[in-house]
Amino acid sequence: MGTRRTVKKLGLSAAAFTVSLIAATAGMAKDEAKDNDAADAIRTESPIKHVIILIGENRGTDHTFGVYKPKGKHQTISNLLSKGIVNEDGSPGPNFKLAQQFQVKPQPLYYVGAPKSAKAVYGDRGQMPQPNTAGAPPAQSTTGAPFPPGFPEAANQIDPSPDFTPLTNTILTTGATNLPANSLDSRIPDAGMLPNGPFVLQGLNISDDDYTGDTTHRFYQAWQQSDCSMANATKANPTGCLNDLFPYVMATYSLNDSVTPAVQGNFSAGNEMGFYDAEQEQASTLKTLADRFASSDNFHQSFQGGTGANHFMLGTGDAGFWSDGKGNATTPPANQIANPNPLKGSTNKYTADNNFTNCSNFSQPGVAPIVNYIESLPYRAEPNCATAHYYMLDNTNPGFFPNGFQAPAPDKQSMLPASPVRTIGDSLNDKKITWAYFGGGYNDAVVLSNEAVASGAAMTLNSSTALGAAALADPAHELGVAYCQICNPFQYASSIMGDAAQRAAHIKDTVDLLADIKSSTLPAVSFGKPDGLLDGHPQSSKIDLFEAYVQQVLDALEANPKLKAETAVFVTWDEAGGYWDSGFIQPIDFFGDGPRIPLLVLSPYSTGGTINHTYADHVSILKFIERNWKLRPLTDRSRDNLPNPRMRDDQPYVPKNMPALSDLFDMFDFDHAVKQPYLE
Amino acid sequence: MERHVTQNRCRPGPAGPVGTVFLLLCLARVCAAADFSADIVGGNAAPAKVYTANGKVRIETPEAATGFFLVDGAVGTAVFVRPNQQIFTDARQSSRLTRLFIPVDPENPCLQWQAAARNAGVPSADGEWHCERVEGGKADDRPITQWRVTSPNQDSGQCWIDSSLGFPVRVRLSDGATFALENIRVAAQSADLFTIPPTYRKLDPQSLLERIKHSDVWVESPQ
Repeated sequence: MGTRRTVKKLGLSAAAFTVSLIAATAGMAKDEAKDNDAADAIRTESPIKHVIILIGENRGTDHTFGVYKPKGKHQTISNLLSKGIVNEDGSPGPNFKLAQQFQVKPQPLYYVGAPKSAKAVYGDRGQMPQPNTAGAPPAQSTTGAPFPPGFPEAANQIDPSPDFTPLTNTILTTGATNLPANSLDSRIPDAGMLPNGPFVLQGLNISDDDYTGDTTHRFYQAWQQSDCSMANATKANPTGCLNDLFPYVMATYSLNDSVTPAVQGNFSAGNEMGFYDAEQEQASTLKTLADRFASSDNFHQSFQGGTGANHFMLGTGDAGFWSDGKGNATTPPANQIANPNPLKGSTNKYTADNNFTNCSNFSQPGVAPIVNYIESLPYRAEPNCATAHYYMLDNTNPGFFPNGFQAPAPDKQSMLPASPVRTIGDSLNDKKITWAYFGGGYNDAVVLSNEAVASGAAMTLNSSTALGAAALADPAHELGVAYCQICNPFQYASSIMGDAAQRAAHIKDTVDLLADIKSSTLPAVSFGKPDGLLDGHPQSSKIDLFEAYVQQVLDALEANPKLKAETAVFVTWDEAGGYWDSGFIQPIDFFGDGPRIPLLVLSPYSTGGTINHTYADHVSILKFIERNWKLRPLTDRSRDNLPNPRMRDDQPYVPKNMPALSDLFDMFDFDHAVKQPYLE
Repeated sequence: MERHVTQNRCRPGPAGPVGTVFLLLCLARVCAAADFSADIVGGNAAPAKVYTANGKVRIETPEAATGFFLVDGAVGTAVFVRPNQQIFTDARQSSRLTRLFIPVDPENPCLQWQAAARNAGVPSADGEWHCERVEGGKADDRPITQWRVTSPNQDSGQCWIDSSLGFPVRVRLSDGATFALENIRVAAQSADLFTIPPTYRKLDPQSLLERIKHSDVWVESPQ
């Protein structure tokens, strides 16, 4: 079982936590930070001259901050604790039933918004699908993570990149399940007999330092789990999303009960309902940051589903689509097209759980239920599906390898052809504003890509497979397989990735981010993504490993006070990872929004442990960049065209003017700068 | 100068006791090579450093800046060592230098090169190799043999071997890449350069790959 880490838990030093409030002007940071900093010369709407967006993997708001009490004066938060769903110790609270989950009788077609008559609540104890170890590492190993506690020197081996520090050493020795894969996760207290609702991932044998089983987080599954119907709408929940089919969809979408009943295609089971208790030292680095800075309890994943589509939306305010590589929409191969209608005779097994849909065509499987719901909303939401466009709904590698090599047969290689969708990078380029995407493991991925090209593998194989093969032949650059290709929205773009000069200028490694901070050459806009071992993803990583990555970047900034004074760090996630959340959802178009995810905003102007309730999603970060650097919306169809919300007094989480997205400026007080350490 | 004096072939490794004796004889000849250090210049990268002693080779190259390679021809291993992480992995094909710049028999170099390719898992390494001696002579007052190497893979090309060092001093590969030793300094080398501390752990690359396959970083192709 995972032992408590000893390296990192960040206690608050009273001296270090002394906050000096200084009556600062908007020009203070500018005056302090000159030197090599070219970004200072660019006019901005706020004192913020740099933003760094750090993106973790797969954690929701209630999952991370479900039990969190705001530190700021008079601050409130919408979470499991404030709603009485759970108590402060994580046990079921007086309103536990607000989170109860349902199962549904088999339906002939895919649905969003299950018929009430077909729904039945799970029974009390052990009736809801129970948590499962899925693919979490069952044991410590001398050849792979997690390593035996007796061998701390071996810990580095899991991530031997230059961006890896002793901070993560101990964390990487801990957290094996000591249970078989795909079995009941008996580390969780009462596992097997858990009641129908959320459960705390805490006990003698489990904490945030343990690997846990993953959950599926894909587009059609996520819409179905949200269970949205205007028939469910209320004043507090005017979009009628009940979020009450999370374990059910996981237990059934790949359950092959019609053909081979013994085969359980997915083991996510009840993992969606797990959460951490921040008031009991779980996710303690994130809690410290929330206590000291500003955070949002109404920030959402922009796309229902997974990693690739959400990062794409973060970079473009839009969805990617299958094309001829020259900007013209075309039809992907048949094995890429989704059909979520249930197989005949099955409970809910999707016919073809694939990645692309032409949502302009209502006769396409799965389209009509979502479009009908979107068009039934009491505000002007449009599906935003262009004619004959097959949109990328789930993870598909970019058509470019990390070294810029363009896949010659993307249809056969299952890679998205070079994308014409305009990115925030293009917009920044137009105004000669510096920017970069810093991906952990990128430099090694380039070497592996070069080798895949040389061997010919890149001509025929998917880039994950090709890089994996290259890594086995070239262990010195093996970390390149941990570089996340689908997390880099610019790797899809012809304008960036297809141009060697653009690629060299803007696509970099974590080591470059740290070096740029140190040398005061940080671009105005920086995206930071850890490698796949530190990204905090369940099963392959842990939440505390992402905390360590964040801390490493913050430590670098702490050592450069001039830069820190004019930098806003946005810490967020790609999506909730399939974890259940109790928050309101504002559907905007066919693609999302989805459940809430945490957002922390760290700057001298966003302090005090404040909790912002204004409705926002990933595209809000684009809107912040565009407002601060005076850029126009990316295209006439991108979500950054949406107005800022006007929030209702009686329902503080629901915009009056839906659909609307915050530009996050109201998370800052630019008239006052507060100098304080990030963590220590 | 001589031309076409010798042709050596390496077929799939000689098996059985005869093969073992043959290999030991070859290795004995190889291990007699001198200890030295040098720079390796060429390719697309900044110069690498090479050190040899007792048939072992250490290569430090900016292409793999997080560590160094150790090749032990006597036991047929090549590993990449990361001192900061106190780990090592099989080098396999991480650097072509570990297959080219190794002690060789000046009269029959194909045997060692083929063994290195096989050890690195190079495709087709077990196929037929030809080493055709095309010239001899001296370079910097050192006796040199020149070989035309034909292999079933990308290691084909021309090679110049310093007979006194028992080591390649220049390689021109069929893909156009050229490497040469410069600043050769014949001297005893510290044994520490060729030793992996016993506390270092060996990493299995497959284990990292398997863990990554459980993340969103890895994208499976649809069926």
